[in-house]
This record gives sequence, C-alpha cells and structure tokens, in this order.
Amino acid sequence: MAVIEGRDIVKVYGSMKALDRVSLTVEAGDFYGFFGPNGAGKTTLIRILTGQLMPTSGTASVLGVDVVKEPMKAKELIGIVPEVESPPTYLTAYEYLYFVGKVRKVDRLEDRIGRWLDFFDLEEKKGTICKDMSKGMRQKLMLASAFLHDPKLLFLDEPFINLDPIYQRTLRDYLEEFVAKGGTVFMASHILEISERLCNKLSIVNLGRVVAQGQIDELLKDGENLERLFLRSVGIKASGGDAPRRTSSS
Amino acid sequence: MLREEFRTHSSYSGKSRFMSFPIFVFVMVFASGLTLDTMLVTIPLERFATFAHLGAFLYGLSVGAFGIMGREYLDRRYGRNNYLIAMPYLLPLSFRTTFLGIYLRDVVFYIVLMLVPATLGLVAAAPLMGFSLVSIGLLFVAMVLTFLVGMSLSFLASVVYIRNTRAFVAMTAAVAVLFLAHGAFGVPALEALMPGLGFQMSVRPFGHDTVAAYYYALGCVGISAVMTVLAYALVQVRISVQSKEHVDMLPSYYRRIRMSEGLGRTLMAKELLDLRRSGVVAKMFFAFVLPLLFLSFTTWYVNYGLAIPVGFNAVFYAAMVGFVAVMMYNWLNNVDLAEYYSLLPVTVPQLVRIRIAVFLILTVGISAFFVVAISILNGETELLWLALIVMFVTSLYMVVLTAYLTGLKTNSFLFDTSVLMKFTVLSFLPDLCLTILSFSLLAAWTYAVIGIALVLGSMAVTTRILYKGIETKWARTSFEA
Repeated sequence: MAVIEGRDIVKVYGSMKALDRVSLTVEAGDFYGFFGPNGAGKTTLIRILTGQLMPTSGTASVLGVDVVKEPMKAKELIGIVPEVESPPTYLTAYEYLYFVGKVRKVDRLEDRIGRWLDFFDLEEKKGTICKDMSKGMRQKLMLASAFLHDPKLLFLDEPFINLDPIYQRTLRDYLEEFVAKGGTVFMASHILEISERLCNKLSIVNLGRVVAQGQIDELLKDGENLERLFLRSVGIKASGGDAPRRTSSS
Repeated sequence: MLREEFRTHSSYSGKSRFMSFPIFVFVMVFASGLTLDTMLVTIPLERFATFAHLGAFLYGLSVGAFGIMGREYLDRRYGRNNYLIAMPYLLPLSFRTTFLGIYLRDVVFYIVLMLVPATLGLVAAAPLMGFSLVSIGLLFVAMVLTFLVGMSLSFLASVVYIRNTRAFVAMTAAVAVLFLAHGAFGVPALEALMPGLGFQMSVRPFGHDTVAAYYYALGCVGISAVMTVLAYALVQVRISVQSKEHVDMLPSYYRRIRMSEGLGRTLMAKELLDLRRSGVVAKMFFAFVLPLLFLSFTTWYVNYGLAIPVGFNAVFYAAMVGFVAVMMYNWLNNVDLAEYYSLLPVTVPQLVRIRIAVFLILTVGISAFFVVAISILNGETELLWLALIVMFVTSLYMVVLTAYLTGLKTNSFLFDTSVLMKFTVLSFLPDLCLTILSFSLLAAWTYAVIGIALVLGSMAVTTRILYKGIETKWARTSFEA
C-alpha cells in the first residue's frame, strides 16, 4: 500500500525551478532515502509532502490524504523533524512536549512525555529552556516531539545532524525497530554510511530532478556502495582517491 | 549592512512593494505641499514646522530603540539567518563595534527611507507652489538634525535600560520633566530641547541668523555624538550564555485558562508563558504607556502651551488609546519565531486569533485605567461610560484590522505600500470621525452621541467582517519567516 504518492511535483521560486516534475511512491514499511547535493531540492520536497509548502503544480498525498487540499489533516497523521532544529525559545523540554501533545490531543500524555524525555536523556536538563540548550539537545527534542504521538509515517530531514555517536546509534536502532513494526520513514540525509544501512529504497535528486530511483540493492552496481552510487548519479567521478571530480557530462 | 537591511525588508513583501513605500511618502508629502496654502490660513507655518520636527524626533526615537535588546536583538531579529551584522560570533568584531554599525546603518537607511522622499515630495511641489528650493534643503538638514538627536537619545536610553532600570526611569523622567516644564512655563525653550528646530527657526523662511543656525547645528551634532559615544561605551556585552533554571509552568498556565479544552487554550497558555519568560511585557508596557503619556502631553501642550482652544475630552482620549494600543499587537508578533508551528496541525489564522485575545487581555486593563484616570483628572466622569465603550470598540477594531492586514508579520507588512495605504485609510477615517464627534459632545450632545454610536456600529460590523476574513486571507500562509 502506498503511504506517500507524489506525481509531477514542480516548485518554482521566482525564476528558479527547485523541483522539476518529481514523482515517487513510498510503500508502507519502506525506509526511503532521499539524497542529493546541497540545494538539490530535498528540503523543498519534504516541506511539500508534509503540507508546509504548496507546490507550483503536481499532486501529493500521504496516508491517503491530499496534502495540497488538506495539509492540516496530513500533519495530524505524520511526524516531522525539520532540517534546522527550531523549538520554541522559551519552553523547557517537558513544556514543549506537553505543548505538542496538547496540540495533537495525545492521550496518556504524561507517560509519553516521560518515555521520550528518558529515551533522549532530556531529564538531565529539565529546567533549561530551548534557547539555552545545545544544538544536540534541541535536535533530540525535535525528534521526541515528532515521535510523541506515535505516527505511522515519519519525515526526517537530516535527523542525525548534531547528535553524538551514542545517540546516532540509539536513533538508528529506534528507526530500524519502528520500520520493522510496520512504520514508514522518509529521510533526507547526507550521512550516507548510516543511510545505506537503514534504507531499502531511494531517490537521488540533482538540480531539482530525480536522477536515480528504486530499490537500493538493484541500483548498486558490482561492489558499489551508496556513496559511489550517489556520486555517479549526480555526475561526479570518484577517482579512487579522496577528491571526487565532476564528469564532463555534468 | 545597508544591502542586507534592504533585502530583509524587501524579502517580506517583495522588492517592488517595499520600494513603493518611499514613493508613497513622496506622493503624500507632494499632495500635502499642494494644499499647504489652504492649511496656512488656519495654522501658521511655524506650527507646521514644530509638528514636523516633533514627528522627526519621534521617528528617531522609534528607530534608535534597538539597544534595548542587546544580544537578544541580534538573536531574535535575525533568527536563523546569518547577517554581516551578526559577525561578532564569527569575526574579530566586538559587540560595541557591531552596535555602532547598526546605528550608522539605521541613520542612513531610515533617512533615505522617509526623510529623503518627503523632501523630494516638497521639491516636486515647489514649481507649482513657489517654494524656495534653498528653504526645502534647509528643512531637510533641520529634520535630519532633529532625527539624529531623537535617535541618539533613544539609543542611549535603551542601552541604559538594559544596564540599570532605575537610571532609565530617571533619564526618561528627566526628559519628560523638561518637556513638561516647557509646556507649563515656556522654559526651557523647545529649540533647546530640539536644537534642530532652533536651526530651522534661524534659517529661511523663518529667520536669517546664520551664526545661531551654525551653533544649533553644532549643538545637534555634538549632543548626538555625545549620546552615541555614551551608548557605545555602555552597550551591554553579553557574549556568555546565561543559562537559568526554570520550573515547568505550562501545565499550570493551561489549567488556569478558562477556555474549553482544545487548541485555543493550548496556544493561549504558551503565548502567555512566552510573554512572562521573554521579559517582553515590561518593554511592551513602556511601548504602550509612553505614547499615551506623550499623547496626553501633546494635547495638554496644544491647549495650554500653544493656547489653541481644542476640546480634548475623555472620549477623544479613549479613541486615541484604541489606536495607540495596536503597537502591542506588533510586539506580540516579535516575542519568538514561529517556524516550529509549521510542523504541527496549526494554521496562521488560529495563532492570529489567539494573539488578538492575548492583546485584549494585556491592554484592556491598562487602557481602561488610563481612560478612567483622564476622566477623573478632567472632571468628566459623566463621559466615562461613553469613553469606555469607545476605547473598547476602537481597540478591538484596530487590532483586528492590523491582524487582518498584516497577519503575524506586522512590522514588515506595514512597509508594504498597498498594506500601509489600506491601514492608513481604514484607521484614519474612523479616527477622524470620532475625533470630530468627540469635540462636538459639549455643543451638541445628542447628535454627537448618535454620530459616535453610528461610527462605533460601523466599526463593530467591519471588525466582524475582518475577523472572519482572517481565515481566508491567511489560511494558506506559511509560518516561516
């Protein structure tokens, strides 16, 4: 069953085409990776699929809800972690989760808040308001707020950024378990080592266009890893040394 | 820095719309210039010059208040964007140098934004009305001098406020006493308080005292320089993060709000807690009360200082209170960035409506107190019932009008000419009607009350239409800056 459907999505900012007829389908239980160089259109697509931004043209739905027509209904069903961690300045971690829980009408709220504060070790800095938190703490809080209402579908934009190796591992384990239990993850990330371990499908975009799409194991050529696939797809030739070179075709 | 400031403003409403703001100023001044002869029949040119300088002084005061926020100013204003001006974090630039940079940038930017197009408006009217270009040039210089004094005073006062609240109160009180003393006794002269006005009165078309003009100009520059240097030296440098422990209060705020369970109650609790934690309430209080005091002083000055018999009464003040209170709504939109709302099933209209409610909670008490106090001081308690109704209806009308036109970005959209024009017309018309009708209360009570009732009724109906319209106008808008 498709939980995310995007058809011919176009997004134009002024004279710049950020997305050019992007189409994709994500099935329930997929861990879907969405990769591309900086400025390729990853965050724009996530924002469109989560009802935060209207596309210029094209259609998009999540969990059967048309995100263009009913963005609020879509947001009720999904969890979103944005690229830049930006929790409210003047709330503590507990208060932010309480706020999100009340907005989302989460039942057994206290239990759930306790669970996620404990999971991300946020109890330790209980009385700290968000503006005084480290970037890592804020990122953990954004993750906790996205998981709080037990959504079946998660949109994660660079979820591992700012996390220390311990919590990168913790999050990775949690996401694997989440997908194993039938959840679906749509993730944009530049950390290809972790992504390769987690994702079963992917799209690679470059300059707003999809340049590779499908099952990862089918896309990888002999002995190739995700990094090589990525570089090949966006037209960068890996020379075998440290410095990749852009091929003439790009 | 100037390019960044321009791009920041134009990013909100579009380059062409922002660029049309100075054109709007130009057209307004040009039109005023064409009607100046008619207006001079009732009001002498000196009075016009005085009011223009008071305006420039106030404009300077409002521009220079950025020092009040110290480091918070940079964090909140620029949020997640990196601006050259926020470089103390990255480059070997001190906060003091940065603040001096902001000061100099704002001097240039806001003179070009307002005073230059205003002057050009007069220049355009000159061939038709026979204005002297030299006089217009001298007027521009005088206005810049007054603007500089106002801006420097505000910059210094806001920096002092961060250092020591008592010193700030003393400083504000001293300035207020000087203006009050001028109003009551004519001493000190207004030219001493605003040397730019002194310069103005010493040159064409008011006088020909070049030496006095020279000294007044020197005085303005000297006073501005001294205040700026003092502010530069006193700027609070708060590079270290002062982490403070907080008790979780949101649940108790939520429980205390007497609203039905749901989104509105949650948003309201958070907004009120934000206000408490951010410390903005005290600043908002000053931003609200100071204009009220200034308004009282101005009307008192017109009545007694200039000896112009105008029938200011409690109903007039009540209408003005409603119009002044709208600044508080702007403050509410600047307490925190709202980007995280875009991750939740919350719409811009829902938050706008909650901020209107918070606005009313914050202002109705203070406004009512002011109106009651004015009624008692003026011996007009018989007008109190009417004044309170006028105050409430105008406050509600103004905040709903502002919310409808500007959503969550009041500060930015009021620089959009099309928005500004709508705002000007829709606020000026009822304001003018209420002012005229309030002046008629003593002479023709029944007709004035019926007139006021009709105006208030129209405002109430418009308020309802605009309040409903907030949904359709802002439903598809993003929370992002």
